Order: sequence, then structure tokens, then C-alpha cells
Amino acid sequence: MSGGRGWDLLVEGCTTVAAPGTDAELLARVVAWAVRPRRSLEAIRRSCRDAGATLLRAETAAIRDVVADHVDADDAAAATPLVQMWAAAGVRAALVGDATYPVRLAEGWPETDGPTLLAWRGAAVPDVPTVAIVGARRATGYGTAVAAWLSEAAAAAGAHVVSGGAVGVDAAAHAAAVELPGGTTVVLGCGHGVAYPRPHARPGGLFDRVIDHGGTLASELLPQEPPHAGQVRARNRIVAGLADVVVVVEGGERSGALLTAGAAAERGRTVLAVPGDVRADGSVAPHRLLSEGVAPCTGPPDLLQALGGPRRGETVARGVAAGGLSTLPDDVHALLAARWPRPVRIDELARTTARAVGPLLAAVTRARVAGELADGPEGVRLRRAPG
Amino acid sequence: MGANHGVLATVHGVALVGLEPYRVTVEASLASGLPTLRLVGLPDAAVREAGDRVKTGLQRSGFVWPGERLVVNLAPADLPKVGTAFDLPLAIAVLIATGQVPRSAIGTWACGEVGLDGSIRAVPGLLPITAGARGFGAGRLFVPDVAAREAALVSDIEVVPVHDLAEVGRVLHGARPRVAEPAAIATPGPGPDLAEVRGQHLARRAVEIAAAGGHHLLLSGPPGCGKTMLAHRLHGLLPMLEVPAAMEVAAVHSLAGERAPDAPLSLVPPMREPHHTVSSAGLIGGGSGVPRPGELPLAHHGLLLMDELLETPRFVLDALRQPLERGSVIITRARARVTYPARVQLVAATNPCPCGELGNPTRSCSCRPDAIERYRARLSGPLLDRLDLQVEVWPVERDQLVGPPDGESTVVVARRVAEVRHRAAERWGSGVLSRDVPAATLRRSVRGAALRALASDLEQLGASARGFDRCLRVARTLADLAGDDVVDVEHVQEAVAYRLSSPVMAT
Repeated sequence: MSGGRGWDLLVEGCTTVAAPGTDAELLARVVAWAVRPRRSLEAIRRSCRDAGATLLRAETAAIRDVVADHVDADDAAAATPLVQMWAAAGVRAALVGDATYPVRLAEGWPETDGPTLLAWRGAAVPDVPTVAIVGARRATGYGTAVAAWLSEAAAAAGAHVVSGGAVGVDAAAHAAAVELPGGTTVVLGCGHGVAYPRPHARPGGLFDRVIDHGGTLASELLPQEPPHAGQVRARNRIVAGLADVVVVVEGGERSGALLTAGAAAERGRTVLAVPGDVRADGSVAPHRLLSEGVAPCTGPPDLLQALGGPRRGETVARGVAAGGLSTLPDDVHALLAARWPRPVRIDELARTTARAVGPLLAAVTRARVAGELADGPEGVRLRRAPG
Repeated sequence: MGANHGVLATVHGVALVGLEPYRVTVEASLASGLPTLRLVGLPDAAVREAGDRVKTGLQRSGFVWPGERLVVNLAPADLPKVGTAFDLPLAIAVLIATGQVPRSAIGTWACGEVGLDGSIRAVPGLLPITAGARGFGAGRLFVPDVAAREAALVSDIEVVPVHDLAEVGRVLHGARPRVAEPAAIATPGPGPDLAEVRGQHLARRAVEIAAAGGHHLLLSGPPGCGKTMLAHRLHGLLPMLEVPAAMEVAAVHSLAGERAPDAPLSLVPPMREPHHTVSSAGLIGGGSGVPRPGELPLAHHGLLLMDELLETPRFVLDALRQPLERGSVIITRARARVTYPARVQLVAATNPCPCGELGNPTRSCSCRPDAIERYRARLSGPLLDRLDLQVEVWPVERDQLVGPPDGESTVVVARRVAEVRHRAAERWGSGVLSRDVPAATLRRSVRGAALRALASDLEQLGASARGFDRCLRVARTLADLAGDDVVDVEHVQEAVAYRLSSPVMAT
């Protein structure tokens, strides 16, 4: 992740790149002005409008001239210092109409309100069946478990998983898909120069893992633009735009997941909702969608069907089969399988199976080490769907 | 009186620096001059006022205050003397110097505060003072009779209870002194019973292990889930103290003025519950001059319950660290460096996150993830490494609350705890608990396969290597609970499980 100083240089570059007196120079200054105090594309748009340029032309020209003209240029000498600086941070960019701009986002532009510029780190966004798995940051263990379950099944079947990179459901979806054939794309709610959310952006965190495994971090924002609530709607329209199917796992009354679902519906994409615990606050959003006629997603088959069937083979991720292969005692495994994907507390495991806590904990440790069990604040659960 | 000019009266008292006794010799001599009292030898304000108290007390008890200049020296002069315990030695020294009691009284040991009516009042720390006097070879010691039973706990010294200065005079003239009965040894009634705890299988197990191995315990759970209740049950599982240990505890409490002077000697391990806003001085000890013991030394040989641990300021938590490792607190002040014993078992309770709902399946946590991380981070590092057992506690469900008791009683579990402690004492020496044994020593009683399993398990689960020794200590206790001399893979695997799960992402 490049720090503040590199990005400051980038801003300075805006004013030095363009030849004086040209249209481009004016626009470069517009961008430089916009980047420094407000740092938002909205500011660029506004200043372009104020300068009398037509929105599309001015915006495209501004970005093309000062930011992205030579992003994919093979000729190093032709690359501007600005692009070199951008490239040094591992960021590539594409404008609408460029060959590298994701096809899905370009469909129907600008009526679908896709971003003018998409900047990304890692691989380019692939053009394969894609599912967006979105939901609450304050997810319950059930929510993260279901998100991981669906994501793993989809990615194992070759579908790409897109989400917003937030903690909770988003992170569970990304983490489950990151090492599988389908791969995953994170659509950031901030610029590439901002480390947010911090647990994922730190070295060795989720975002590094996504890039290391051939995934993508994408953002439409200028490098130093910080995350703020107003950005969520904008970010979610990209998530929806990239996806063929949007699955809402958990979300509160005013969840951003509803915005994603709305954006997807506007584009005519399929929306699915995962039913939740009726007592939990996080079930409000999916249940509202269900009541509005959205189809329920009760497991990988629903999702894969909506995606048009698995691409690569028939293999949907299968957990350790019940009995036989499991490292857990049969009754413990049976209880966890019955509750799956909800986590079970050690207390309840001990009481229900009438086992002593000591040996039970030892068994749980063995199963965790074997990768069979996941452990969270709400208890333990099977990592994979019971067979 | 003139005939007594030149008599140098010496009487002994004991000054405490922390719990360490120092012999103080009170010398009094008459000199020609105006009838004033000159007090030398680094006295603090309370000691300087001793002259006024003693003068009035003597006069009201029928003695005469000399009409000459009186010089009193408290030796050694470089030792700070604090408090009112030197009133009685001073009064006796004056009586000797003025010839109102026989010269045979020279060399008397005494301790007590003198009231204006001549009565002798209790002073803090009489127990360590008496023990100190015995150590200095005192044959008998005059003590305030209200606290005589406390002093009489010390054997091999004659404790003379005195009610007032008149009685002191009578005894010094050869009257037969009263005999002080040592304080009774308290027989504690049964405390809250473990059988009253419903459900909480995991926490009960942790409490039993903590009691058996003396491990520091961290209970994480929402408000009202029974963390404090479990801590009190843990207290009930601890074996009674041996008399010498109980005396150490009583000495600290006596010094801190936390002990009624006529209270029986309690064999129950102390339990202290400082509020989470406690200052580091309140926790360790402090105060001007010679620092007084804080909550940590007061919990010596017992439990220190820190509720809302993560609400406690970071620097106060840091102050806990060294004492937990060393078993004592050292306070350095300008005038004194004091060591108090503090072999303490820490029971810490905390909410899982600032709002307390993290991990609740039906109520969502309203904390931002970075806030949870910051909250937990306060506990990171060396202090967390000392908390051998970390468990999550959850409220018991309703149907379990109304059901019959579903667990063992304190008596049953306490028997196992005592057995484990006995085994540990046989292996490592009396009073040594699993939590105190150095890792290198521990490893000798661990099967090689268990060591390898522990290393690979921790790596697989992404736990830091710092947890290694922590797990070994717990595994040692688990083996003892199972009656095994050698720590095996099974014990290590259970020990690994006593660790809080990651707050941000369930993986």
C-alpha cells in the first residue's frame, strides 16, 4: 500500500504533465484542484461543469490526459511521470471504452451510472459468471457462515465472487473464495491510497491475500479519497454492476445491502435473499426483500441455479463427510451438523452430548487443527456444509 | 529527682518499612535548661506530636512531667519514623529518665499510641511489629491490650497487654502482668456453593483448573452473565491457608489498617475486588513517606478480582504485570524502598466488546470492528500471556435456571483441587503452583509428542508462540487433575482451547 507522500507526488504530477495553454492543462489543474481539497470525482464533475465543458468529454479528457492515458502503454518512455507513480503503487486504471474496462460495467453506460474510471490492483476483473454476496458488517456467526458457504460453493464451481470488502459478511465471502478457482473481487469504498477497513488492509491481511491469489481490488475513487457513508451507495452500484446475481445475506433496516439489491434490480440482474433468524436485527433486510418477492437462497444449489449452473465440473465444495472421516466424535459431529451453519457453544455441546468439558475441548482443538471446525465468539461450527 | 540526673533511659520500639522491621531505640535524658522537650531523629509529624500526647497522658495518669529540659533521640537517626507507635516507648523512656520507674525497665520493648487520658491505643501493623521485636531478641513487649490478641499470635515472645500508662507503671514496678490469649483461628462458614451454578460447563471447568493450578483466569462475557459469581465460587475452592501464610496475610492487613485488632486469625485466602477505576497507587500501594500496601499486597495468598478489566486504564494494567511475575510489589519513594509480598491469583472479568453483545446470536453487537480491536488490544502483550485461562461466559438459558442443579458441589471439587495442589507440592516443593513453575522445568514432565503437538497446533491455529508456555502450564494442571504424572497430547489439546476467539472474523 502506498503511503501519503507518494500520492501527494501524484497530485503534483497533475499540474506538471500537461503542456501549458492546452485544454488538457486546464483540465489537469481542475483535477489537481479537485484532488487536493475534496479528493472526489464528484468535485471534478462539478468543476468541469463550471468550466463549461460537457460532462462526459471533460471528465473523460481530464482523467485520460492526466491520469490514465498510458496506463497500459508498453512504451515506458511514453508513460507520464504520473502514470509511473500510479503504476509504482501497483494500480492500473481504465476508462469507459477502454479494452480493459469491465464489460459488465460498460453495458448501457452512462444510463446505468457506472464509473467513468475504474482503478484496480491485482488482476483485471474477469468476465465470468459473477455473484455478489453482500450483507451486514455487524454479522452474526450465522451470517458469516452462510456467506462463506455460498461463496465457497460458487467459487469452487468457477464463479467469481464480488463484495464490498467490509468486515462481517463481505469479508467472509471474500475469504472463502480467495483460494478457489472462481476468485474474488473487492470493490473498495475508498481510494487505493487509504487503508480501510484497517484489519483487512494491513500487511498479510485479507486484501493482500486477495491480490496474492489472483484476485482484484477495485475502486472508482481517486487515491486519497477517504471512506464515508455517502460513498456506500456509489460503491454498491459497482458491486451490483459487476454481478450476475446478488445475494443478500444479512442486513439491518437501513443496510447498504438493500442498496446493492436495488441497483442490481435496476440493471435487471437476479437478486436472492438468505432467510435469517426472525429474532435477529440482521434479518430485517433479507426478510424485507423476501416479502417483496425476491427468491430465497437456501443453499448453493439455489445460487448455482441462478448463475446458470456450475461451469467447471459438477464439484460443489463438500465438507468432511459425516462419520468416518471426521475427527470429531459422532454425536458431537451430528449436533454440529444439525445446527449448521449456526455455531454451537461449548456449554451446549457438553450439555447435549453429556460429555465432560475437558475431552470435548481436546476433540474441538483436534478438529480445529484439522481445519474441520471454525471457532468464533458465538461458538464453534463445521467449516463446511455437512454432507 | 536530681539524683537521677545523668540516667540515660533507653527503650526499644520497632519501625516498619513496608513489612520489614527495624529496631528503633528511644533514648531520653534530662538536661539542665528550660522545661522543654526536644525530639530528634527524623520524626514525622505524628511522632513530633508524641511529646504533647505523652506529657498530658503521663500527667493525667498520676505521673510527673520533669521540670527540666528533656532530650529524646530516636535512633538510628536516618531511618524514617512514622506514626504513633513510638508514644509508649517514649513515655516509658521519660518515666525511666525521671526515676518514676526502676532502672530495670531500661531495655524494655514497647509499642502503642498514648491518649491524652493516658490510655494505650492500637496502632497499625502490630503483628509484623511483634514478629520483628521477637526477631531482634525482645523477651517481652508492651502492647495495647485491645490488640494484644493479634500480637499474641507471635510465639516465643511475652506479650504484655496494657490498658493505660498507670498499668504500665505498675508492671514496671514488678506487678504481675496480664496474659494475652492469642487470637482464635477462625473457622469459616461455607461460602457460595459451586452447585448453585447452573449450566456454565466450560466456565466451571476453567474455575476448577484455575483453583487447582493457581492460574490467572480471564472471564469474558456480557454484563450479568455470572462472571463475578464464578469468581466467588473459585474463591470457595481454594484450600485454607497454612498458619504461617495466614500470618503473612494478617500482617499486611494489620499494616494497612484493614484488620480489626481483635479479629480472629482467618485461614481463608483473602479476596479483593478493587473497582475498575482504581489508581496504580491504590493497586500497588502508595502514600507519602513510607508507602502503604495497596490491593495487590492485600490479596497476598488469595484472589484479586479485577472486574471490567478493559475499562481499567492501560498504565494501571501495566502496573499489574511485574507483581504477577515476581510475587511481590516494590515501591520506591524518596525516603524508602518498600517490598510487599503479593503472591496473587488474578481473576479478570471483561466484556467481549465495548457494548458487551459480541457473539450474542440474537442481539447484534453495535461496536465498530476497529473499536473492538482497540478494546481487546488493551489486553495484549505480556499481561495477556500471564492469563493462563481465557474463557467466554454466556448467560444461562431460562430452562436451565429453573431446572435442578446440574453440577458438582464445592466440597467435591475442592477435594480434587486439594489433591492436585498436594501433587504439585510433592513434585516442586511446598507452596509451588503450576502457574509459577518455569517453562524449562515444566517441559521435563511433558511427553515429547505433546510438545510437538502443541507447537504444531498453535502454528496451525495462527496463535502466537507466546501462548506456548501458557498452554504448558495449564496442561500440567490438567494432567494432575486426571491423575497423570506425565503431560500427554490430550492435555495439551484441551489447554489450547482456553483462549478467546478472534474478535473480528470467525475463521
